[in-house]
Amino acid sequence: MKPRAVILSLSSDYGCQVQMSNFPELLEMLSTFELGYWQLVSSGDMPQDYDVAIIEGAVTTDEQVALLEKVRSIASCVIAIGACAVTGGVPALASGGPVRGQLKDVYGSGSSKVGIGARKPEPIKHYIEVDFSIPGCPIEPAELSRTLQRALRALTDNPERQSMCGECKTAENICMWTQNVPCLGLIARSGCNAKCVSRGRACTACRGIAHDANLASAFAFADSMGCPPEEFDALLKIYNAMSDQELRKEAVGKIAAQEVAS
Amino acid sequence: MYFRILAKDHVSTFVEGLAHVYEVFAPVKNESGFSFEQVSDGSSIVLDYPMTIIPPKKYFVRSKESLFRYDTHSGDVVESELEVTPRVLFGVHACDINALLMTDKVFLGDYEDPYYKARREHTLIVGVSCMPVLTCMCDTWGTGEVQQGCDLFLTDLGDRYFVTCHSVEGAHVLDTFADTHEATAEDTKALEEHLRAFREAFSRPVDATSLQLLFDAKYNDELWEEIGEACLSCGACSAVCPTCYCFDVNDELDADGNAGARVRCWDSCMNSQFAEVAGGHDFRPTRASRVRYRFYHKFWSYPARYGKTLCVGCGRCDVACKVNINPRRIIGALQEGARS
Amino acid sequence: MKKTHVPVDSSQAYRELRQNPYRPWPARITSITKLTDTETLFELRIIDHKVREQFNFNAGQFMELSIFGVGEAPISISSAPSKKGFIELCVRNAGSVTGALHKMRCGDIVGLRGPFGRGFPFEDMKGHDVLMVAGGLGIAPLKSLINHIHDERHEFGKVTILLGARNPSEILFRQQFDMWRHRDDFNLIMTVDTPDETWDGEVGLVTKLFDQIEVDPAKTVGVICGPPVMYRYAIDEMRKKKLPVDRIYLSFERRMKCGIGICNHCGIGHKYACIDGPVFNYWEAMNLQEAM
Repeated sequence: MKPRAVILSLSSDYGCQVQMSNFPELLEMLSTFELGYWQLVSSGDMPQDYDVAIIEGAVTTDEQVALLEKVRSIASCVIAIGACAVTGGVPALASGGPVRGQLKDVYGSGSSKVGIGARKPEPIKHYIEVDFSIPGCPIEPAELSRTLQRALRALTDNPERQSMCGECKTAENICMWTQNVPCLGLIARSGCNAKCVSRGRACTACRGIAHDANLASAFAFADSMGCPPEEFDALLKIYNAMSDQELRKEAVGKIAAQEVAS
Repeated sequence: MYFRILAKDHVSTFVEGLAHVYEVFAPVKNESGFSFEQVSDGSSIVLDYPMTIIPPKKYFVRSKESLFRYDTHSGDVVESELEVTPRVLFGVHACDINALLMTDKVFLGDYEDPYYKARREHTLIVGVSCMPVLTCMCDTWGTGEVQQGCDLFLTDLGDRYFVTCHSVEGAHVLDTFADTHEATAEDTKALEEHLRAFREAFSRPVDATSLQLLFDAKYNDELWEEIGEACLSCGACSAVCPTCYCFDVNDELDADGNAGARVRCWDSCMNSQFAEVAGGHDFRPTRASRVRYRFYHKFWSYPARYGKTLCVGCGRCDVACKVNINPRRIIGALQEGARS
Repeated sequence: MKKTHVPVDSSQAYRELRQNPYRPWPARITSITKLTDTETLFELRIIDHKVREQFNFNAGQFMELSIFGVGEAPISISSAPSKKGFIELCVRNAGSVTGALHKMRCGDIVGLRGPFGRGFPFEDMKGHDVLMVAGGLGIAPLKSLINHIHDERHEFGKVTILLGARNPSEILFRQQFDMWRHRDDFNLIMTVDTPDETWDGEVGLVTKLFDQIEVDPAKTVGVICGPPVMYRYAIDEMRKKKLPVDRIYLSFERRMKCGIGICNHCGIGHKYACIDGPVFNYWEAMNLQEAM
């Protein structure tokens, strides 16, 4: 009997699911599961029982929290896919201030009628235990395929730990910094073959901050290249507003203190 | 030694002739800088390049390659042959040729790596002379010239190359595909001039004497903490290094899970997982210990085993490292107190 | 363009068998014995009979174990070289590969490469007393040596085994060792950090057991294998008993990936655990950065 999988979305633009539907090899891999539900393409209801839950999107409402808790109680394996689900992604940019205030900024005086049950956007792992995380905006389909293989064999997650620069060199790219473009490859988690830089754009760390990242040193380097800590941190926030907050604050503070001292 | 003179105008024809029989890889200019790429058109190659981003090691140990495929259920290896195409690497600098001689010792030692070996045996190497850029330090290691490790070596004499033939196969392709003539006394004089200019172009000498002893004595020096604090653990240094050859091996399954591949990819000892054993104990838990290990391997371990420092002074790491960690700085710091 | 198909089956030790050093031999799991909550003894049989018949090793050497689709892990051999046709691996469920192995059953197929590395100097140890100190999983490679000594017991003098574990349920091969405690030809002393009601052995660190033994430094070989923290202390005790530095042998755990001295993952200072070790004598180890 095939294990049953469901694919559902919280708050996101469904980009990762579109990405999934574009890759025949991944679809072939998915066919080793009984696909009980796929939010992007199915109109039916979620089945009562399933083994694997693949979840896209950040958590932004009370309703989603309840859904997540239910999913976790049913699925033996939960896979978070995409930056929104893994780090909070772009939605988490709004995690800085109180939700009510932000609703008011956007919807004006009528804001009391919208956003009932809205929460500060957060990654899934802040609410439930996640077995596998597939980062990226959008995800690398091959990475999801490999992860599903691991899930099928009841193996544990094996995330890339290194930061992007090494991978970017292997792809024989010219460093963005040498062209005076701030690039987050210094601290971004590797695994995409430096896709953006290979196409002439700076890395935005959509895959999250690397386990091995040295934030303090990266901030100091950026500063020395004329990208002050606040600016570097603002770039980092696009996908990682909720990641390593303490370390980031520390790095920013350290440089400020050095500047005061000198 | 068999010497010939090849006019620069004739290089293109030579390359195109080679490309009929071999896959030819040569430095070309692209938006990123210079890199070795396959060429068929001789006019696209650039022989007076400063350095390529990635050294020619990528043709011998690929950044990612399948070692073999297997049947998941029976464990039978289903592919045990490697398809190699006769190749020419055209326009390799002396430092990179010397780097291959160093990786040869590792991959063709007591245990031979059959993949490396097959590719090495089917690749002709045509070296080319260069002039040092600011980051070069081949003068320190004597790796700015080649005694072996290539088939032909072209020394730039302005409008022509002084060609040294190091192998019979090199002489053979030169005779077959290149329009050359005999070297005259004038050419020899021009060669001497080139060699003098090359020597004089190095302006930042590095003193590498007593390096092993100093390394040992300063093994617990605070230098390493300082370097470790700066290191980004990004692995750029080892990716661009012609003498870094560490690899990792992982399994990748086909979509149906019935077959898979054992895949080897470049690894870096800067990676926090590098010396970690199952269960989580890490023998090099700090950045400082990892950076130190990399230089220890280059300046101590490799020489202890193979008699030569594992650095050819190409300067790529100097360019790649964002936080100024490179052999020149490390050696400088180790030598500090001993300097006269 | 002429393409050449090169068989990638070469390499020194394997040349007669035309084996690529990275290529594992399929092997069948023939027996599974659960030892503790986390450790299991797997008995394996290489399927190719020609390979199986030529297979030979020294105690202290290791194998690269493949789980196809998961990867490889280095595991020291626990059986004695005299046990022909089978290889026993004592495996802790601690990572992807060993985790997957623990889900397998008898009859399932795994892959094996090896044997790799330098084991214990069995021939040189003959004619000596042997003092072994093992902690936790460290008994796994020593088990091979113990069994090998057992097979040729008359070649050795006094044999002492000091065995430590955190608690009684974590003692590997406890049944066998429980019986051995009463033998005359092996002096086996076991100790645990935390005893339970079943425990009638010693309590405390394994190094404490040195008070109970007599050692003739002129004719004793010391052997130590255990968790990284244990080496320092066990060596100190052996040195107090006046064992010379080059007659204390240590087996080190590292992340041997290729097994053949290339990939660099198992570097200890300027040596490799996979080809220079995993067994080093203390003189070698004290001259190795990062060894302890």
